[in-house]
Formats: sequence, C-alpha cells, structure tokens
Amino acid sequence: MIKVTGLKKSFGKANILTGIDAEIAQGEVVVVIGPSGSGKSTFLRCLNLLETPTDGVIEYEGKRLTDRNVNINGLRQSMGMVFQQFNLFPHKTVLQNITLAPIKVQKKSKEEAEKIGLELLRRVGLEDKRDAYPNRLSGGQKQRVAIARALAMRPHVMLFDEPTSALDPEMVGEVLDVMKSLAKEGMTMVIVTHEMGFAREVGDRLFFIDGGQIVEQGAPREIFGNPQHPRTKEFLSKVL
Amino acid sequence: MELAYHFDFSFLNDYGSYYWTGIKKTLEVALLAVLSGLVLGTLVSLLRLSGLWIFRFVGSVFVEIIRGTPLLVQLFLFYYGLPIFLGFDIGIFTAAYLTLTVNSGAYIAEIMRAGIQAVDKGQMEAARSLGMSKGLAMRQIILPQAFKNVLPALGNEFVVVVKESSILSVIGYGELTYQANAIRGATFISLEPMLVSALIYFVLIFTMSKLLGIGERRLNTSD
Repeated sequence: MIKVTGLKKSFGKANILTGIDAEIAQGEVVVVIGPSGSGKSTFLRCLNLLETPTDGVIEYEGKRLTDRNVNINGLRQSMGMVFQQFNLFPHKTVLQNITLAPIKVQKKSKEEAEKIGLELLRRVGLEDKRDAYPNRLSGGQKQRVAIARALAMRPHVMLFDEPTSALDPEMVGEVLDVMKSLAKEGMTMVIVTHEMGFAREVGDRLFFIDGGQIVEQGAPREIFGNPQHPRTKEFLSKVL
Repeated sequence: MELAYHFDFSFLNDYGSYYWTGIKKTLEVALLAVLSGLVLGTLVSLLRLSGLWIFRFVGSVFVEIIRGTPLLVQLFLFYYGLPIFLGFDIGIFTAAYLTLTVNSGAYIAEIMRAGIQAVDKGQMEAARSLGMSKGLAMRQIILPQAFKNVLPALGNEFVVVVKESSILSVIGYGELTYQANAIRGATFISLEPMLVSALIYFVLIFTMSKLLGIGERRLNTSD
C-alpha cells in the first residue's frame, strides 16, 4: 500500500533521514519507535508530504507521491493523520471540526457529514460533546475527537504522530482503546509512539529508527524479546 | 482667577446641523475605508507570506511606501495625481476614500501578517492533512483565528482612521473637521467650534472602543 525507497530528508545541514526503505501492506499496523531526534516523526510526516522529502520515492496506492505533479490534496484525503498536539480547530465546535473537511473537500451535504460525524463521535464515546468547543475538552477527549475528525474522511490509512505523548497518564488509555479497536477492524495504521506495551500488543510489525534509518524491523514480540542490533538493545534497555 | 476669554456656544443654534453632516461623513468614509482596508490588507498580508519571492517583494514595496510617506502627501497624490493619470476627474469623496483605504490597508496588512503568524503551525498542518488546499485552509482555519487574534489591533486601527480622516478636510471633503472650520469661517469664533468637534470625536471613539470590547468578549466564547 505504501512503499518507501531511499527516503532522505535534511533540514539545512542536519540530515534527519539518511535513507529509509520500507513497505507497509494493506491492513497492517506498523509501530515506529526510536530515541527522540531519531527521525521517526519526520518519517511519518513525509508519508503524507507534510515534510517534502529531500530525496527518495514514496508510492501510495500505486501513485508516486514524490512526483511533482501529483494531486497531493486528493491523496491526503485518504490518509488520516493524528498529531501529538491534537490540532483541533479552536474556533469550531467538536462536530464542526469533524464535518468541515467532508463538507468543504469531499462536497458532502451537511446532513450526510453530520450523520457520519455523529456516528464517529458515538464510536469514540463523545456524542454529548458535539456542540462543545475544543477548549472545554480534556486532552484525551481532544485526541479522540481528532481521531474521529481524521476518520470522517474515510481514510485508507491512518498516521499517528505520538498520539499519547501530550496526554496526562490517566488519559492515555482511552485514546489507545480507540486505536486498538481501529486496528482490530483492519485499518492500516502507522503509529509513532513511546507506548511500548501498546506497540507490543497492537503492532503487526515494528520499526526501530535511529540516526535516520530503520535499524531493525520485525514482529514486536521478537524485537522486544530478542533485539538483534546493539542500538536496539541499548534503547530497549532504557525504556523497558 | 477669572479667564479673560468668554466662551460663547450660541453658534450651535444656527450651525448645529453642520456637525451632524460632519459626523455622518466622517463615519461613512472611515467605516468604508477600514472595511476595504481590511480586504486590501488581508490580501497584502497574504502576498507578504507567499512562498514566491516576487509576491513578497510586491507586498513589502507597497507596505513600505505607504508607511514611509505622510498621509497628507498621499491624499494630494491621489486627489491631484490620479485624475491626471486616469484622464478623468475622480471627485473628492473617491479621492478621500481611496487614500484612507490604501493607507489603512498597509497598516492592516502588517497587523494581519502578525495575526496569521501567531496561529499555531499545527493548524495549517491539520487542515492540509485532511486534504484541504492551502487556500481553503487559509479561509476556513487560519484567517478566522488570525482575525480574532488581531481584533483589538483592528479596532485600534479603526480609531486611528476616524481621527486621521480629519485630514480629508484639506481637499474639501465635508467631514467633521471641515464643518468645524466652516463654522469658524462663518462666525469668526476661533475656539469653540473646534472644542465641540473635539468633544464629538471623543464621544464617537469612546463609544466605538466600548462596542469593540463587547464584540471581542463575544468572540472569545470559544477560548
């Protein structure tokens, strides 16, 4: 579904990604872990071109995202993204946050978009917050709305950029539960996370990124249980 | 201590209606100029934030020229220069309105630019990640928040424009200061007509500040 070849990204003189090759299959849940500054978020943000790669090729559903004339707005509609800082629209209500893109981008009718929106709010357990503004929500609630907002576009893949890192510990669970249920339904997901327990439980495959490269990849259980690369071993010994 | 000067406001009986005309014309031109200045300023601020250097250059040149020359000079340039350039007379109101619009547009462009830059970068990213084009994201997500950020500064700009519109009297636009001058000319009373106009300006602006404060609090419901 997603194929990355020789992906490089530099900011000025800083080489953040130094050559990433990866393939993500339909329905797969890939978790990405690694030390901070290793490039894992940059890798994720390159997948929907929030960062423009310096070099390399990204293919998504058979189309080259890295081509100049690609319709990125069209492709992004089917790639949902959830951010560490939620990035809800503060001047819109919860329901408006969810229905805005379906109405304005997919040209759905307001009724249809609201029907989908309410369905998704029910799913993340926030139906009663439909008319609240984001500032009235807790961090966990905000992130659940953000997930619903991304799902409203009916994406084929969901990208999560440290979705629980900005949350108070007692709110991490509610967000992870939503993500688990998504994974169970067969959603293709790429998740950058520091939640090792979650990574082990939900991930089909794990990428350990360090120094801008995928140092080791494989089934989470195997990597957590028996890491091969010295840098993986070192990292896991610190976080587990 | 007794002042040697005896205040005489009896001219108000005969000339009170001059002030009403002046108030109407002051508010008319200031309101129109700030509204079109807001449109112009927003467009210029987008130029200044564009990814293309030529747009940024055009935007900066406009802002710097307007900010770097006096309003009175701009007024004369519009009033005397534009008809020569265009080949037809534009009239006093148009010259007055255009000058104030262009002038406030430059200042509003800087206000809006700061307001847009103050919106969290994640907002644009979230909007783009949902498939919105840059333009749609600007209109739906960034500008409404930027506008809210700068509302106090915009209100301030409106106040400035109301006061600066007094300069329009020199080309004969019949706003408040022009009317006060006319009364001075007709009655040979030098001070009181201006005192009255000062009081009117103050009441207008004080009222507007209060109204803007109420508007701001309304907009803050989502904070």
